[in-house]
Amino acid sequence: MNDKLVIRQHAEEQFAEELENLAKNDDRKRPPNWRLSPAATLTYILGGKLDDGFEVSAKYIGDRRLIEIAIATLATDRALLLYGVPGTAKSWVSEHLAAAISGDSKRLVQGTAGTGEEAIRYGWNYAKLLAEGPSPTAMVSSPVMTAMREGALARVEELTRIPSDVQDTLITILSEKTLPIPELGDEVQAVKGFNVVATANNRDKGVNELSSALKRRFNTVVLPLPDTPEQEVEIVRQRVEALGRALEIPAEKPAMAEIRRVVTIFRELRSGATEDGRTKLKQPTGTLSTAEAISVVSSGLALAAHFGDGTMRAADIASGITGAVVKDPVQDEIVWREYLEAVVKEREEWRDLYRACRDRM
Amino acid sequence: MGVHVFGIRHHGPGSARSLSLALAQLAPDCVLIEGPPDADPLIPLLGSEAMQPPIAILIHAKADPTKAMYFPLASFSPELHAARYALSRGVAVRFMDLPAANQLAEDDDKREKHERRLRRDPLSYIAEAAGYDDSERWWEHMVEERQDGRELFDAIRYAMVSLRRELAWDAKLDVREARREAYMRKVIRAAMKDGHEEIAVVCGAWHVPALIELPTQKADTQVLRGMPKTKVESTFIPWTHGRLAVESGYGAGVRSPGWYQHLFETNDDIVIAWMTKVARTLRDEGLDVSADHVIESVRLAEALASLRGRPLPGLDEMNEAVRTVMMFGDAFPLRLVRQRLIIGEALGGVPGETPMVPLMRDLAKQQKTLRMPAEATEKEYVLDLRKSMHLQRSVLLRRLDLLGVPWGVGGDRGEGLGTFKERWQVCWEPELAIRLIEAGAHGGTIEAASSALVKERAAKEEDVAELTNLARRVILADLPDAVGPTIDQLEARAAVAADLTHLMAAIPDLAQLVRYGDVRGTDTTVVAHVLDDLATRVCVGLKPACSGLGDDAADEMFTHIMNVHGAIGLLGKHRESWLDALYAVAKADTLPGLLRGRAVRLCFDAKKIDREEVGRRFSHALSTAGEPSRAAAFADGFLRGSGQILVYDESLWSILDEWLDGLTDDAFVPVLPLLRRTFSTFTGPERRQMSERADLVRERRVVEAPIDPTRGMAAMPLVRTMLGLEP
Repeated sequence: MNDKLVIRQHAEEQFAEELENLAKNDDRKRPPNWRLSPAATLTYILGGKLDDGFEVSAKYIGDRRLIEIAIATLATDRALLLYGVPGTAKSWVSEHLAAAISGDSKRLVQGTAGTGEEAIRYGWNYAKLLAEGPSPTAMVSSPVMTAMREGALARVEELTRIPSDVQDTLITILSEKTLPIPELGDEVQAVKGFNVVATANNRDKGVNELSSALKRRFNTVVLPLPDTPEQEVEIVRQRVEALGRALEIPAEKPAMAEIRRVVTIFRELRSGATEDGRTKLKQPTGTLSTAEAISVVSSGLALAAHFGDGTMRAADIASGITGAVVKDPVQDEIVWREYLEAVVKEREEWRDLYRACRDRM
Repeated sequence: MGVHVFGIRHHGPGSARSLSLALAQLAPDCVLIEGPPDADPLIPLLGSEAMQPPIAILIHAKADPTKAMYFPLASFSPELHAARYALSRGVAVRFMDLPAANQLAEDDDKREKHERRLRRDPLSYIAEAAGYDDSERWWEHMVEERQDGRELFDAIRYAMVSLRRELAWDAKLDVREARREAYMRKVIRAAMKDGHEEIAVVCGAWHVPALIELPTQKADTQVLRGMPKTKVESTFIPWTHGRLAVESGYGAGVRSPGWYQHLFETNDDIVIAWMTKVARTLRDEGLDVSADHVIESVRLAEALASLRGRPLPGLDEMNEAVRTVMMFGDAFPLRLVRQRLIIGEALGGVPGETPMVPLMRDLAKQQKTLRMPAEATEKEYVLDLRKSMHLQRSVLLRRLDLLGVPWGVGGDRGEGLGTFKERWQVCWEPELAIRLIEAGAHGGTIEAASSALVKERAAKEEDVAELTNLARRVILADLPDAVGPTIDQLEARAAVAADLTHLMAAIPDLAQLVRYGDVRGTDTTVVAHVLDDLATRVCVGLKPACSGLGDDAADEMFTHIMNVHGAIGLLGKHRESWLDALYAVAKADTLPGLLRGRAVRLCFDAKKIDREEVGRRFSHALSTAGEPSRAAAFADGFLRGSGQILVYDESLWSILDEWLDGLTDDAFVPVLPLLRRTFSTFTGPERRQMSERADLVRERRVVEAPIDPTRGMAAMPLVRTMLGLEP
């Protein structure tokens, strides 16, 4: 339709061709209501070559075993909780799982402090409710309820941000696989294929711990930060290129050298030591996730495109990095200054970056 | 009719199962097992009821017990099953590997080299080709799914023949391997000559190709000619699953003995039984694991296995399922599972008629001569090191402690005991026997084992303070062989240690040793040498090390300086260079006040600088130009611990007094806590004397105030009246 105007397409739209080809080549057994077999889902997420030579791009770069566990969990009808620090591709994995398994990643509940029960169970169209009294037409279905009816995957993002009492409404849904509607004396029974993929992070402030009753109903997969610098550089590169395409930024492809620098800085500050292990560093308060590295690089790219000569240079990423590192104006500023003086300044080929960052302090 | 070669994997549960079936089917009249023939006389013991695996055949050189070989057998070892099969049928059974008598006669270096080359598991080549990164897992998956004995062994034979061809493996390149295989063939020939008709040969899969076709007897005799030989002793010892896992350096170890035992003992529902065990273990640790968790873990493990195209979940799938379902993604509790279940804590037992472990025998002997029986109740020994027997007891306890067998606890110079007495709490726990067995891997006598263990530890240790501690213990334990390497390593690490405080921390211990080592009659010249070295480094590096320290770091340095000062006082040596170093600190304006103050004080106490200079430095530090907090730190450093000097030295007292007087209120309040802390370290009498002195000064000040005639005159009329001078 008007594809071009959308900032970000859903996974199942963006990768429609891949999904179609995977389905074509997929001759393994599919669990009820699954669009792809577990093995084909794995290929979709991790990438690979199909029997007919079609190339599937990698959506997740990292430990294959984790994705296998996630898919196997969904195949056993258990709800899946993707857990980890921010920026470890939790939502990304959950979206692609839903796209591959149900062909639809839109059954989404975004968890916030204000998320109410009606977002998980059902709400009412009050005008109709007053006019007609409780009736199926007056009821407003939640994404979870819709997914139950359709036998699809429902996604709950940032589960730990949802108030505890609201979180617990998931318990009945997960253990009984039904959603009672006492007002109508009715219930919705989940069709096979229904399941919940939730994401939660363990680092942010202001989270509501899951009750153990709810925890027990999830299989938990912890997504780690990228293992190696190479993996992380590759993740940032892929994502920035995709974002650049979507935002139609006219700049050149991001220089690998700059990406590597950003990733190195992030990794060093995150781990509290330089990559060669020689120098110990203070750690900033922020998480410095891969996702933030991606946004630093893509905003650098935009700066270069619109205000520079189209090539991303140190000056274009300097303010992005400073902003990402310095979250607390007092503590982090010291951390960042020390890092600049002790590490960045010492590196011969990083001089330009040092000057650019100094200018912004 | 003929020779049947069964290629197995050592400690492979699948192999054991298949082998039992194959042997039952074949009904051989002779069983030859890859194992040390020196232990042939011990084989009948394997059939004993009291023989509880895991156990190991231990063979050591008679002359030198540190030269030893272990041949572990677990309940799931195919070798054990082959032997027990033969014993139960009354069939001839023999070991056929190259005798330990020959292997142990070789030089140590040579043996180590061989072992290193053999480390790479040949099966890993095939596993790799099959897309596994781990040969154990590959073997599990390939062997576990098959229960049909003979065909499996045929398949193994084909695989090994082609593997050896692919690798172009030539026995001539590796003399030891060539000899082993030649010897195995020799034993097979001998068995054939003895008239056995169905001979079952049980050996590591790798050797199968070499044993199928027998070359001429002459060629083998040639290979075996001229081997050195030594006298050996063999015995069975209880073994543990932990030892079975690779860590002891035993080549053919397995990483997951507990899991293997489970695989071997469980016939159906391997997954369910395992998950139940895991759940019970976790529950014992107070973790909340429900039956529902077990069910879901089993389902997930099976789903994972099918996703990965495996017939049954392996240990990886099990662990991942446990972590995901039971542990909420947390990997930490898996360590517990690993220790308790995957490796397991089984300890074997051997029949009473088995000869004893060398270390145990050694200990028993020493316990007898030193009249220190092993008792389960705690007993206190106060040892007078001047008496020979007491000294030997102390040495024994210390050596055992180094071996990780803490039979006695304590050993410090007891309060009120003087420098030649030690107090020990001695108590024997059954688990110490296990530790002793473990330590047995390091040598055959307590002295040799502890010496070897220390050398090994010293070579790996990098921390100077740890090394110092180790050196001290080694010297007290009278292990002359280990002293050299430990001290060398200490010297080497000290030379590159970047942090001077580590060196400083090492000095007091060593100084004590040099000073008091005499009581025990130990030779401390090597230590004195290192100590000289350390002292020199510390003297050179003291000033730079004091710069740029924060308050906490300066405090730490203060303690180090005091300890080193004490140690150097104990030695008498290095006094001059140490005082020079202190003086350099005292003179450096930029260093932390605390340290400078202390340096000035120590120099003064040692008469390095005179009273006048102290006064000058003190007043310089306390001059109003300086920051009050720095000045207070200087005073703290100078005075901490003892204020006696203030009581007797009027000039210092007045400098401090004037400084305090001159502080504005704003400056006084921040330094108050520090001053209070300093003064609180003084003894009661000192403080009382100071307060008296303060009163005295104040009084004198009042007296010295100039007389104001006008005010004086005002009182005159009254005085006159009182004196009756005026009416």
